[in-house]
Amino acid sequence: MELGPILRAIRRNKARFGLIAVEVALTLAVVVNCIALIADARAQMARPSGFPDDDLLTVSSAPFDAAFKEPGYQQAALRADLDALAALPGVAVVTSTRLIPWSGGGSSGEYRQAGAGDAAPMLRSQIYNADERTLDALGVRLVAGRTFTREEVDRDTRRLQEITIHPRELGSDGRPVDKFLQDVVVTRAWAEHVFGPGPHLGRLFQDSDGDQYRVLGVFDPFYNPYGWPIHEYAVFYARRSSSYENGTRYLVQAEPGQASALARTIEETLTRVNRLRAVEVSRVTEIRYLYFGRQRMVAGLMGLVAVLLVVVTGLGLVGLTSFLVSERTRQIGTRRALGASMVDIVRYFLVENWLLMSIGIAMGVGLAVALNLALVSSIASARLDPITVAAAAAALWLLGLASALVPALRAARTSPAVATRSV
Amino acid sequence: MLAYQLRIAWKSLRRSPAHTLIVGGGIALGVAVSTLFATVRHSFAKDPIPDKSAVLYNVRMDTWGPVDPYPGGKPPPQVTYQDMVALMRSDIPARQTGTFKASLYVFPDPRVGRPRRELVRLCFSDFFPMFEVPFRFGGPWDRAADRTAERVVVLSDEMNERLFGGEDSVGRSVRIEDREFRVVGVLDRWRPGVKFYDLTQNPVDVPEPIYMPFAHMVAMQLESSGNSDGWRSPPMAGFAGLLASEQTWILLWVELSSADQVGRYRAFLDAYALEQRKAGRFQRKLDNRVTPVRDLMVEAEVMPKEADAMVAVSLLFLLICALNLIGLLLGKFLARAAEIGVRRAMGARRLDVFMQHLLECELIGLAGGAIGLALSFGAIAVVNLWAKSIISRGDFLAMDWAMAGFAAGAAMVAGLVAGLYPAWRVCRIAPAVHLKAQ
Repeated sequence: MELGPILRAIRRNKARFGLIAVEVALTLAVVVNCIALIADARAQMARPSGFPDDDLLTVSSAPFDAAFKEPGYQQAALRADLDALAALPGVAVVTSTRLIPWSGGGSSGEYRQAGAGDAAPMLRSQIYNADERTLDALGVRLVAGRTFTREEVDRDTRRLQEITIHPRELGSDGRPVDKFLQDVVVTRAWAEHVFGPGPHLGRLFQDSDGDQYRVLGVFDPFYNPYGWPIHEYAVFYARRSSSYENGTRYLVQAEPGQASALARTIEETLTRVNRLRAVEVSRVTEIRYLYFGRQRMVAGLMGLVAVLLVVVTGLGLVGLTSFLVSERTRQIGTRRALGASMVDIVRYFLVENWLLMSIGIAMGVGLAVALNLALVSSIASARLDPITVAAAAAALWLLGLASALVPALRAARTSPAVATRSV
Repeated sequence: MLAYQLRIAWKSLRRSPAHTLIVGGGIALGVAVSTLFATVRHSFAKDPIPDKSAVLYNVRMDTWGPVDPYPGGKPPPQVTYQDMVALMRSDIPARQTGTFKASLYVFPDPRVGRPRRELVRLCFSDFFPMFEVPFRFGGPWDRAADRTAERVVVLSDEMNERLFGGEDSVGRSVRIEDREFRVVGVLDRWRPGVKFYDLTQNPVDVPEPIYMPFAHMVAMQLESSGNSDGWRSPPMAGFAGLLASEQTWILLWVELSSADQVGRYRAFLDAYALEQRKAGRFQRKLDNRVTPVRDLMVEAEVMPKEADAMVAVSLLFLLICALNLIGLLLGKFLARAAEIGVRRAMGARRLDVFMQHLLECELIGLAGGAIGLALSFGAIAVVNLWAKSIISRGDFLAMDWAMAGFAAGAAMVAGLVAGLYPAWRVCRIAPAVHLKAQ
């Protein structure tokens, strides 16, 4: 084979041949890192919540009528709303909870294992109220125990209301003297975080006031992004919503495929029940879309860069290869005159190109890893995936081959007479 | 000499317009992409209030419980009501304000629209001069209104447009919740890049549409619609309990004009915390912070974590665009070897030939840069339009002189990278070889 002459030619023209290798190396390094950033953004966006996001709607009802400030009126209005929503065709389950999936916020509280002592660390968890239908509406799967019954929700609601109206007496430590015990439903991730591996049913934990909580049920999976890294941790306690301070929120699970149609009818329905308020309906998929705005932007812009880069480098390779071939027209003519076949010429340029591409790709892989390490230090999760690197390297290699084929074929067709005329 | 070389370069560029277009287009593409990405980063990083960022300080105190630190190990970003009241008694700051936002019902004239919940920022009258808030009509309420909870409000230009059709509404009345407020001022368009005075939620949000004296919080029993963090139950029920609690929901800002004032204010904070410790509060290690605007922006991680990586990638993109042009320029320059041979033979020095070709590359570079800058304006408009559906504002990304300078610099460097090797090669041509061939 002509490997000897090719290597000698490359060695004598390091700059020009080196250029191709450097271009390929940089392109590979940047493209695979773009893909890593896109993959990272997509992985974040693809994170399942454990809820049937497509079928969920969240409704906020904010009354501006003074009558809503009376507790009796509040309760009646809440029940009327829930009945009206449940009667709508296409509604599977409806509940009232302050949890808004994918809104990036919510309420949280701190707990520790019961009896762990005041010095034991507190563990933070998202905390939401629930009625007997809330977990059904969220569509989460109970892995142990059960959720609240209607009677339990009513009983706990009454008890919590009692405490709000008649606060408990505080002891010398600033904590209530009479403690209470409440049943709660928790996520599996949180139960394992607090108690270690199961079984968790019946286990007790407490808050900073010394009030105790007993695990009634455990469900999984649950993922609701929060301002602090407690996305998988949630505790649900039994309480019917009643606060109209900031309005009431309802969570509606629609029959599959009915969510967008329901979004329109819910507002009319609730306004018919009571006009003296503003009703806003959002699909959870819309909230989720907004939540991932930044990731979407990163993926979009990086995709743009990757595509432009491949186009630019493709064109650049064609240009450079054509130049390198046309520069050697005389040499080709001489070789043809001395008996080299067209196949020999084409093969010479293809082998040369293959060699350059291989050097470039080898350098590119190293560069890609270096660039990724620099990126990883600022973005922990955007790691390189070996399969992506291999695929991108193969694609670039083919791109290089294609860009060499055209000028090589043209060069091979050069007649020896024309090529050597000016010598 | 320069004029002569420019003329030759210009002629050369005109002789092969397609070639010039491709090279210029390559640089334009690289400049457009890198300028777009640099502008994204710059929009987060630039000083939102350049005249005053050095004298505005955010105040934090570690009032958290003794067992666990506030998540993240730093003091909570906001202060309690009791601490705000106590700290604002200090006369060290020239200006100061506690502030939070509430979501309240605004009742427009029934002919204009139905009642709607709007974000209302509760603050002190110092808020407006401190943060250089521009007024179109009227002005802020006075400090007396802060003390007496006078029923006055300031409206943003957009809210004034919605409620009063954009006319001078100073003196007019607007109903918020169950009471009437008198408009004392209407803001001019106010769009700080990053919402520096409240970074607790979306840092690129637009400012609130309505402002009212802080004292209404107590009068109307208003709760925050923003973040509110606490670590223990209130000592008593109801709103009084909230006011006396360890719940933090108020941002505290002070204006301190000298290092001496900053020092005295820090000492004041520490003395207050130590005194409170005697009453059983502040049980953690003393950690009070007085943080200037830009440091707070860094601490709050306003910049998306991907921004630096994206700028690096876009600069590499520009570099690759430039590298790709080397081959094209090399082909063009070497094709005129004979002509250069003649010039060399007639006495042109190597340096002349080198400089002349480099100049030609820089000319294309600058032209490409100008086109790239124009392209990046378009790209920024597209990204802004898209961002509007996410952050409800379509003016966050903004080109400024710094970014135009960046584009020009990037274009020149790209021209240099693309042209250096071809120009060097062409100046090394031995005249004899090419003269012989003719």
